[in-house]
Amino acid sequence: MTPDEHQRHNLFLRSFTAQEPAIRAFVRRLVPTRADADDVMQEVSVVLWEKFDSFREGADFRAWAFGVARFEVLAWMRDKGRDRLVLDEEVVTRLAEETAQDEPRLERQREALEQCMKKVPADQRGLLMQAYQPDSRIQEVARGSGRTVPGFYQWLHRMRRILLDCIRRAMAQEALS
Amino acid sequence: MSTELESLIHRYLDGTISADEMTQLNARLLADAEARRELAELLNLDSAIAATAAGWVSEKMEPRVAGIAPRALIAFPAAVRWLAAAACVALLAGGGWWWRTQRVFATVVKDAGVEELSHGAKLRGETHELKAGTVELVTARGVRVVIEAPAEFRFESAQRLRMVRGRLAADVPPAAKGFTVVTPSGDAVDLGTRFGVDVPASGAAEIHVFQGEVIAKASGGKTKQSLRGGDAVTMDQGASAARELRSSAFIQPGEMPGLTAGLAAGQRARSDAALAALKNDPSLIALLDFESGDLQPGVFRTVQGRWPGSRAPEFVSIGDHLKLDVGADRAWPQLTLAAWVRLDRLGAPYQSLVHTDGWSRNNPGQVHWMVTRLTTMRLALSGNTLAASVGERDGFPDSRTPVLPEQGRWVHLTTVYDSTRRTVRFHLNGEFDKETELSTAHPARLGPAQMGNWDRSDRKLSGRIDELLLLGRAMSDDEVRALFAAGNPYR
Repeated sequence: MTPDEHQRHNLFLRSFTAQEPAIRAFVRRLVPTRADADDVMQEVSVVLWEKFDSFREGADFRAWAFGVARFEVLAWMRDKGRDRLVLDEEVVTRLAEETAQDEPRLERQREALEQCMKKVPADQRGLLMQAYQPDSRIQEVARGSGRTVPGFYQWLHRMRRILLDCIRRAMAQEALS
Repeated sequence: MSTELESLIHRYLDGTISADEMTQLNARLLADAEARRELAELLNLDSAIAATAAGWVSEKMEPRVAGIAPRALIAFPAAVRWLAAAACVALLAGGGWWWRTQRVFATVVKDAGVEELSHGAKLRGETHELKAGTVELVTARGVRVVIEAPAEFRFESAQRLRMVRGRLAADVPPAAKGFTVVTPSGDAVDLGTRFGVDVPASGAAEIHVFQGEVIAKASGGKTKQSLRGGDAVTMDQGASAARELRSSAFIQPGEMPGLTAGLAAGQRARSDAALAALKNDPSLIALLDFESGDLQPGVFRTVQGRWPGSRAPEFVSIGDHLKLDVGADRAWPQLTLAAWVRLDRLGAPYQSLVHTDGWSRNNPGQVHWMVTRLTTMRLALSGNTLAASVGERDGFPDSRTPVLPEQGRWVHLTTVYDSTRRTVRFHLNGEFDKETELSTAHPARLGPAQMGNWDRSDRKLSGRIDELLLLGRAMSDDEVRALFAAGNPYR
């Protein structure tokens, strides 16, 4: 690398590192599973670096990255998503637009999870973390918790419901204060 | 929000939705912005929980590593981690990237003389600089990494370690295949194996493979190279060149328990006391511990000795040597030579411990102390001859036992020469090994000499010498045993 390229690469890494969680969350909202999001993210990071030359310094990196990510999600759906139960392409397009607009609020929601997780009893929190491990098998986690698999899914739905309600309340409070 | 829609979204999210239900869900989402918002928020929460859970991995693994019953793993570590996460948020108020920074990539499981990191410390994406000592880490995927100071490094993920400088040995289980060490001059991608990476303060990085397979790629280079057990490369300017394996250059996980126990038992203080006593010995010719002041002239690297933060010369490249000029004023009827060394098994014909310049029958008694191709210790004095009854393979006094272990570690070598008794006695790690009788035994002559090489032809030693003692009398077996016991870094 020449010093110039090196500097450019550093600039990219700084921007990308800062925005990676937001880009990942953006992708996650458009594809069926977290593993699919990982798949797409690998592609996205490569394409972002390849196209970084066309990115004007000082412009909004996140908005630019969302544009690239949206394109990659649609490409992924046409390629790998064909035989899968996925969101309608039109739904994805609208979701991408709306959630890109709504990202500041969605980001605060993600941040508010921390406070809300504290209110979950420790044993349930541990179980949730187990269920969300990258390689976890729900059957095993369910068995370990003494629940049937459908029962465990019901429990997961309930936990997410409780957490989302808590997050919304926290944000409403924040808006008042 | 209708419970029917909500349960469709949850089933989509868990991958348990049916094709009919998916059609229903798509129809709802297409028609209803509020439904899309609900979906977006639930999936957004899903990412956030996953990001939190990613940091939780190593918390879960740690008790197993530390040998604590896994029963306590759910409640307690999570509570501790939330405090850390809260501190993180406070610092980075509003920055979305704390999700990344809070992930734990590796945990310290052993520390020998490291001030910056202690047992149980969690490593995330921050840079660490170690001035002294050695530390052993376990990554979230179970890779064992030993890093020796001076070092600067940071984890970019549990599978990616950036080494700015320093030396590491990694033991990679199959689950962590693909573990990558990034250096300024190239990358090492591991395919499930044991390997070492050396990034010197100046100069090219090296990759050494002890077992399995590693892919090496020099920065800026186009080609990748597959390295197998026993292979090593130097990476420089986009190209990698094969080199000899430095089997002892890296502290391996197996060596850490002995080193930490040695430090805890106060071995360093015992060693200092023994050295102080030797400095008052009237027969002392030279005692080099390489700690104070300028090091002797020569060409070598200065690296860590057997104590945290201590110094030792390391000989790596052809021509490396350290110059010495002691004891020239007289001849020495008795001479004890002792050293703490950490040497590679190179198969080179000779590795020089101490070689006086030249070698001539006109100047009898010149001392050449070395490790041979068979990794035995040898003491040759010019003009000396073996006793008739002695059967030495090469015609010189050699130790019986090979002195270099298969896997590198510190060893203590002693040879006691007595021209009045016409004997050469070898000791390995304080234990008497063998005595060779001579028929001609000249008093020893010292003066200008090299450690790690010879001025006549290359007899490069590969590795480190941490301490060298030259004593103008014959040490007894008990003294040699005590010298080893006091300086031993292991317990």
